[in-house]
Amino acid sequence: MNNDNLLLSSTRRHFFKNCTLGLGGIALAELLNGKSNALTIGGLHHKPKAKNVIFLFMAGGPSQLDLFDEKPELTRWHAKPIPQEFIKGKRFAFMDTFSKETPKLLASPRKFKKYGQSGAVISDLFPHLGSVADDITIVRSVATNVFNHAPAKVFMNTGSAQFGRPSIGSWVTYGIGSESSSLPGFVVLQSGPRGPRGGSACWSSGFLPTSFQGVPLRGAGEPILNLSSPKGINNEEQRNVLDAVRDLNSVRLLDTGDPEIASRIASYEMAHRMQSSAPELIDLSREDQRTLNLYGPAVSKPSFARNCLLARRLVERGTRFVQLYHTDWDHHGGGDANLETGIEKVCNEVDQPASALIADLKQRGLLEDTLVVWGGEFGRTPMSELRETTGRNHHIDAFTMWLAGGGIKAGGHFGKTDDFGFSPIEDRVHVHDLHATMLHLLGIDHLKLVFKFQGRNFRLTDVHGEIVPKLLA
Amino acid sequence: MQALALLLALNFNAAPDFDQEIKPFLIRSCVSCHNAESKRGAYRLDSARALIKGGNSGPAIVSGKSSQSLIIQAVTGNENIEQMPPKGQKLSKNEIELLKKWIDSGAPLPASEMALVEGNKKTSHWSFLPVTNATAPIVSDKSWCKNPIDNFILNRLDKEKMSPSAMADKPTLIRRVTLDLIGLLPTPLEVENFINDNSSGAYEKLVNRLLDSPHYGERWGRLWLDQARYADSNGYSIDGPRLIWRYRDWVINALNTDMPFDRFSKLQLAGDLVSGSNFEDKIATGFHRNTPVNQEGGIDKEQFRVESVVDRVNTTGSVWLGLTVGCCQCHDHKFDALSQREYYQFFAFFNTVDEPSIELASQQEIKKRDSLKASLKKLEAAQKQIDPLTPAKIASLELKIQSRELLPPSINEILAIAINGRTPRQERQIDSYFRQMDRIQHLVGVVVAANPIEAALQGFIYEKREKLELMITKAKETMPEIESSLVVQEMAKPRATNIHLGGEFTRKGAVVEAGVPLVLPAMKLANNVKPNRVDFSNWLFDPSNPLTSRVAVNRFWQVFFGVGIVETENDFGTQGTLPTHPELLDWLASEFINQGWSMKSMHRLMVNSSTYMQGSRTRPEYDKIDARNRLLYKQNRIRLDAEIVRDVGLCASGLLYNRVGGPSVFPPQPEGVYSFTQVPKNWKSNIGLNRYRRGMYTYFWRSAPHPNLVVFDAPDAVSSCTKRNRSNTPLQALTLLNDESQVEFARDLANHLVAVSASDTERINRAFLVCLARLPKPTEVEVIKKLLNQNTVSKTETSTWFQVARAMLNLDEFITRE
Repeated sequence: MNNDNLLLSSTRRHFFKNCTLGLGGIALAELLNGKSNALTIGGLHHKPKAKNVIFLFMAGGPSQLDLFDEKPELTRWHAKPIPQEFIKGKRFAFMDTFSKETPKLLASPRKFKKYGQSGAVISDLFPHLGSVADDITIVRSVATNVFNHAPAKVFMNTGSAQFGRPSIGSWVTYGIGSESSSLPGFVVLQSGPRGPRGGSACWSSGFLPTSFQGVPLRGAGEPILNLSSPKGINNEEQRNVLDAVRDLNSVRLLDTGDPEIASRIASYEMAHRMQSSAPELIDLSREDQRTLNLYGPAVSKPSFARNCLLARRLVERGTRFVQLYHTDWDHHGGGDANLETGIEKVCNEVDQPASALIADLKQRGLLEDTLVVWGGEFGRTPMSELRETTGRNHHIDAFTMWLAGGGIKAGGHFGKTDDFGFSPIEDRVHVHDLHATMLHLLGIDHLKLVFKFQGRNFRLTDVHGEIVPKLLA
Repeated sequence: MQALALLLALNFNAAPDFDQEIKPFLIRSCVSCHNAESKRGAYRLDSARALIKGGNSGPAIVSGKSSQSLIIQAVTGNENIEQMPPKGQKLSKNEIELLKKWIDSGAPLPASEMALVEGNKKTSHWSFLPVTNATAPIVSDKSWCKNPIDNFILNRLDKEKMSPSAMADKPTLIRRVTLDLIGLLPTPLEVENFINDNSSGAYEKLVNRLLDSPHYGERWGRLWLDQARYADSNGYSIDGPRLIWRYRDWVINALNTDMPFDRFSKLQLAGDLVSGSNFEDKIATGFHRNTPVNQEGGIDKEQFRVESVVDRVNTTGSVWLGLTVGCCQCHDHKFDALSQREYYQFFAFFNTVDEPSIELASQQEIKKRDSLKASLKKLEAAQKQIDPLTPAKIASLELKIQSRELLPPSINEILAIAINGRTPRQERQIDSYFRQMDRIQHLVGVVVAANPIEAALQGFIYEKREKLELMITKAKETMPEIESSLVVQEMAKPRATNIHLGGEFTRKGAVVEAGVPLVLPAMKLANNVKPNRVDFSNWLFDPSNPLTSRVAVNRFWQVFFGVGIVETENDFGTQGTLPTHPELLDWLASEFINQGWSMKSMHRLMVNSSTYMQGSRTRPEYDKIDARNRLLYKQNRIRLDAEIVRDVGLCASGLLYNRVGGPSVFPPQPEGVYSFTQVPKNWKSNIGLNRYRRGMYTYFWRSAPHPNLVVFDAPDAVSSCTKRNRSNTPLQALTLLNDESQVEFARDLANHLVAVSASDTERINRAFLVCLARLPKPTEVEVIKKLLNQNTVSKTETSTWFQVARAMLNLDEFITRE
């Protein structure tokens, strides 16, 4: 279309002129036009270290004490009641059952091993992860505020336990746009037996325009809702309708002079590009066998492994923020949700693909500007629960996440917890601090990325958050 | 002046702004001990005034001399003074520097505190002052003014030497006002009649017809439901269904009967407490039952109860007062004269309620139903002993049905409805149908049994089974169906309200009594009366209350013009924008009261103005002066609301089933919507008429609303929404191009076009008339003809016109009110 440039300048002028959407409006214009300029690549407030984010969200709350945070003292104290000073005045989930008697400490049955030059300690549940130990940094001192799944997930994503705030992916795409001209800037992929608690609130754009909402890419059937043309309409016929719509909209644009119509024309063009680029994205036939093997056999069907590979393909194609949810980490002890078979199953699903993602990004030179984050909404208690199989309760004071790439200092551990792993005793990283640091790496000052809503300037980090300088490369 | 102020603000050496740069770290590190409630050392640090004043240790600063100021010694610490704060995060070097710089610059008060007179909470902020008696000003062109609104608008344009736009043409006018008042398209016949009516009152007649339409209540009801955060489910992660559509219908009804806004509000806030409260009044209290409810396991119930009260307080503040009281949940309002104590006084009004669901029937009817239920229970227990079919088994049988064709149509129709969408009567029909089938099998078993003893025994059981079945069917048929709705009800023993320190409900501060903010007029109460929600509603509508009326008329204005006179429609406080036409706002606010709070009268007034009737074409000559058209030298084009995007498709296709009210419905939606929710929802699209109901009746699951609503910015019903976003995205394009409903609309529109005439030109004219209420221009006809010629591959005439219909339904103009 030779009107492209005219359209582009007109759309951009519209957003600059009205400027009610602020920087996000400009990012939106870029998104719609499928073009990026110095503003989005250059970062918002300072030179960025990372361009993209892949957030591997382990929904349910992985047990850090059985994966990363080895505690010999727990073995010594196994089955003894936890000393009162630890739990006095604390609130837990399932308070009524948990406080019937003083809960007893639970040793981890797992064997831990040191990996790589950094000597990262990882349990036998994650044998593959050791192979990339020097590329990741294990943060053992993360803390959050809320101990129920849905609000805690929403908190990890939006910095607030209350539903209705924008998620980090929305803030980021609002702030610096996306580099993809034919795919959404913020994409959500999901695997595991059911959807994550909190649902779409986890990737909601809250009070930001809906164009910054996470777009779920579906594992089966159409990757995006309403992506395919209606039954019986071939590509040419679809294009004919699009041409007519564009021509009629252009007539109207001339008649009214409303630049919103130019935006509409641009978004129809983007929609049409998505109709071919999204199927191309999920078509893995051109990936070589070596790569497919790297991610493991599950890559051939809808799975976490397949989603990890899709995440790499998405950032390759310029998508700014990719979030993967893998459910079933809620190992209370009870039925299959236990720390014996339950955790083994889910670790088995996650270990190889997550490690493969790091290795694959690295070999393609993508890791240096892709920030990878692994972790859940909270961790699990050093104490066991009174249930039929072994398990731990939700724990918010200390848990483990790992970070890689995108300007993170690679290798080893960060932060330290006490002998039972109950609280951080060194380098506590609160979720707000994690958010501040993630934004910082993307070139965004978390204090300056604000949106005024209901009379107040809102930030991802609310009124909190400190960048963690020691984590930066 | 403003430019100068901006320059000053940018001045490198200027004093730090207390509110922006200093207060945040004081709140972080100091205010938890030094606040209105817990004045450690009789010292408060939650305002600049209090900071300067000092506490038990004397004045905290020496203006201009930071080195001699006590507070600087305290935050740095020395041999005499312990470094503050003793626990928690200390001030950083940078922050101490800012504080020093502020003191050295003379410790200037921030703007937010300038307005306050210490000890007497009065403010000069415009919205807290009484509504003034404005009169219509003189204008350059009296003939342009249809009512006083136009005087105010034109007077302002005159001042800027600007002129209003010419009136929109008749097709635009009828489409605009029909969409604004009833949210539907005018039919071609209505358009034709209006164009041919040359009488002087033709437009006013049209407006009156629309205001009398039962669809007016739907259109304006939906806007109110945005504020009420109405949905059909509980929200959070479990998101179970709830029954509260009777409240939605109450709103529609109230608007259709033009219930005055004061009564409309009072019933929603306190319908349980008004004298002679009837069912309808109680249903109205559903307004504050639209809060989400967390059904997740292991939660602290008190936490979520408190959260719903917080939501009620914030919603009430935002809906009726246009104030962001929510900030005071954690601390005194940084900018407005509202304290944390006042917040919890406000909170106390809503902290003493129970949350039942009421059955909408007389005690007698309920009693009768209960006794019938009890005897039915006995019968069912007896049946259970001999009848192998449990309800769970029936549900599983339903899933196993291989071939639907063999079932009677009446049963098929019900099976097509999602399980949670069926009425009790429909559920019973299904139940008895399956039982009947099973009994027939049983009987066949008796007849063909080889063993006579077995046959006799089975025959005996069969007979008993038949008898029981008959009695149960009869009992169920006579059982009255009683509807229910979620309501608010004052507690028999009201609970006390404490201040929650730092906004955390576990940290209880002083006990407070219900009351209203001091900055607003006091409540008029008899001596020693503890005010309740009725008193609160009366206070809202006391003519001396400066906010209620202004806030309401501003929201009406926003619907008709896209932006309010006060752009920040939910912030009339000091951080909000100023009104562009303050006298007009006050005139409208008084007029609303004078008209007995009649909403229809205000809507009539606004759409009957010349201001409203202007064309919406951009005017480049004003781009530099007023690019955003805040002075209204033209109308604004507004993209239709999500529900109405659907409604116009239904209108254009002729498929609309325009029934008003009733349980929510299930139009088609794409597969896979629930692959992301914790609990999968059952969504079986309606077949039959309910498939074609207006968008506002679509069943709203908070955790996964219908994607077509989400994509066009319908609010999420998590908190009150006073203004919708209007985004413009590729996902909207995909929806309009490819969604199943859109395809159905296009198909029916195509059939209609083919049936209406044999001539291409007439068909094209008809398409434009149906969709856009106007005829096409020659260039537009060419575009359509090109599309017709391209479609030679398609075999039938209808499939060619299907493409044309699709193009029409995708036009920007189609989903825009011009």
